[in-house]
Amino acid sequence: MSLAEEYTETSDDSRLERGLAYVQRNSRAYLLIAPAAVFLLAVVGYPIIETFRLSLYQSPADSNIETFVGLQHYVEIFNSDIFYRLLWQTGRWVVAGVAGKTLLGLLIAVHLKGDIRGRKFFRTAFLIPWGIPYAISAVVFRWIEHPQFGYLNAILLKLGIIEQGIGILGNPSLAWLGVVVADIWIGTPFMAIIFLAGLQSIPQELYEAAAIDGAEKWHQFRYITLPQLKSVVLIATLLSTIWTFVSFDVIWTMTGGGPISSTATLVIHIYQVGLQNGNLGRGAAYSVIGFLFLFGFAIIYLRIYTRGGDEL
Amino acid sequence: MQPDNNDRSVEDSIDRRRLLQALGAGGAIAIAGCSGDGGSGSDGGDGDSESGGGGSDGSTQSVQFLTMGVGDNIKQFFEENNAAFEDEHGVDVEFTSVTWDNARQTVNNRVDGGEAPDVSRWPARWIPQLVGKDALEPLDDMMDGEFGEQFYDGVAEGTMYNGSHYGVPWAASNKCLYYNKDVFETAGLDPEDPSLDSWQDMLDAATQIRDSDASVPALGLAGADAIETGSQYYHYHWSHGADLVNDEGMPVVNSSGAVDALSLYTDLHLEHNVTQSSPLSSTRQDIRQLFENGDLGMVIGHVYTGLNITAAKENGDVDFDYGIVQVPRGPEGRYSLFTIDTLAILSQSEHKDLARDLIRFYFDEERRFQYSKQKGFLPVVEAVGERSYFSESKNWGPFVEAGQYARARPKLGNFSEFNDRMVQAIQEALADRKSPQKALNDAQSDLEDAME
Repeated sequence: MSLAEEYTETSDDSRLERGLAYVQRNSRAYLLIAPAAVFLLAVVGYPIIETFRLSLYQSPADSNIETFVGLQHYVEIFNSDIFYRLLWQTGRWVVAGVAGKTLLGLLIAVHLKGDIRGRKFFRTAFLIPWGIPYAISAVVFRWIEHPQFGYLNAILLKLGIIEQGIGILGNPSLAWLGVVVADIWIGTPFMAIIFLAGLQSIPQELYEAAAIDGAEKWHQFRYITLPQLKSVVLIATLLSTIWTFVSFDVIWTMTGGGPISSTATLVIHIYQVGLQNGNLGRGAAYSVIGFLFLFGFAIIYLRIYTRGGDEL
Repeated sequence: MQPDNNDRSVEDSIDRRRLLQALGAGGAIAIAGCSGDGGSGSDGGDGDSESGGGGSDGSTQSVQFLTMGVGDNIKQFFEENNAAFEDEHGVDVEFTSVTWDNARQTVNNRVDGGEAPDVSRWPARWIPQLVGKDALEPLDDMMDGEFGEQFYDGVAEGTMYNGSHYGVPWAASNKCLYYNKDVFETAGLDPEDPSLDSWQDMLDAATQIRDSDASVPALGLAGADAIETGSQYYHYHWSHGADLVNDEGMPVVNSSGAVDALSLYTDLHLEHNVTQSSPLSSTRQDIRQLFENGDLGMVIGHVYTGLNITAAKENGDVDFDYGIVQVPRGPEGRYSLFTIDTLAILSQSEHKDLARDLIRFYFDEERRFQYSKQKGFLPVVEAVGERSYFSESKNWGPFVEAGQYARARPKLGNFSEFNDRMVQAIQEALADRKSPQKALNDAQSDLEDAME
């Protein structure tokens, strides 16, 4: 019986009894993970609590004095236009980035699983972007897209496609795409490797049986590969969503959130408000909101996932 | 000389009148009596210092020295001099350099975390914020005494806040307009008499370059999301009679002069098409690099742009000639953004006397000369400024003269936030998302809210 099932369809009393019995049965396991749990509480729990506390205070950059303001930061944030613009820009960034990484990762994984020449080389080569520090990759992409010094414009100019360099990162309408491309390039290898591992765990017999039954490649992919990969895809996209949401270095290195804040996400804004401008209270309030968003997303996502009875 | 990231390094805080007093109406770095014990440098201090290196428990004492943006061109300077100080005083110098991008956060983290360095260099515009946090040690004992007499008065004033000195002037910089003589010649302009006195003159020249066979953009315009975009624009702003804050420290960024200035700035790109493509992608470093490569007609830059080109020419990397003139004047005058970096002692320091010794050591006249020369910053010590190296140099001369047009950004505790909002207004206008009037009105409104 899965953990989810164990806590459903029971009355309150029996639920408590069963819960205690469960803990008793697994007491050794809990004991073993206790040191790690205590450590996590210290390094994760304390900052979270401190951030919550700080978000209730006015903490100007040029003073050591903190003034209690209650929920004022939250009220002002929810009443500001910039918050909703940040939500839209963050959502756009996450959806486009995760979708791009997932689709490309799946495409690459499917092809790497096949019996192609140089498979080992490609498997290693596709990992390279993930192994490069994000900030360095971001610098490279910034230069590639630079209107005066970049390769992209140089090639387009050479081919006569454009007459003068295009500043993708300087265009408030296009800049986010220029940054998303870099993020997809960086994050795709992780997805590809995870999907590849998932693909390799699918029994070959399923494909052989389907082939005997006359299923074509697309049908095999649709009715065997995708269902079998479901758990891997869900976990990979959950992780990718969280990482993309909190991603900072790519955007910051490439555009600093500009132009006209068009590439700023919630995380970039937190840095600008809290650390760059020294308004720690306001920055902490944004952080709490971001944390709650992610927390809510993870819960909903996992609930949907465990609804079918699967366990992580 | 290698280009480095120190465009941002020398920051703020001196008013024009003071600088005029200091540098003299003629603009030359003034001749004046100089140097008290600052010239001695290695004398180990004024007697109250811990001149010996050993701690009371016999261990070697150490002094933490934090600075920013130490590029290849100045790294050796610090390595050699830190080693010399260690030898003289029998102490360790724990030297740390961080990039300018991380500087402010590093300083705030260390101060807030109770791990502040003993000595640190930073822009003078950070002083109000750090004083507000009680993070800085007043240095009136040094600056009001013989040591302080070595500095230009106006420069020394730049380290003052609320009546006290919270730092020692470390470096200064200002701006001039560079032009590419080869490009001017190609465009039929006189490279030896470029007639770039006013913004209109500059625009006329740029238009002629645009319409000529010159294959490079006429003018570099910064518009990227960076603090330096504000620095470049403020020349236009001030010269149109506009200001950033009034005497009460409240924002006044949307005056009619300001609108005229931003209109000119944006029209250079949107209407006249005399700039490099996509100014919104370009930082000040980008346009400086374009000019240093010979790929731009004109740019407003620091002295080290000329030094970099000179070095590149000597190495055979570039082959073009350039001239330097004053930043063009507007209807209400001519201004050159003046910035100061300071060397400060942190109030958390447990080795304040040793920290004072380190500062005195670095203010040895020859060391100051080497620093200015290698780094490309204006001298802050009069005796150094008097040297013929500066007054007779093709690269340095115009910048020395520009002292009379110097103007600093206002000292505000939240200047970073203020400047960010101004940069946003510049970008909105440059991207043609808002008219200059609307962009500045919105900025004014937001800044008023922020300053309340």
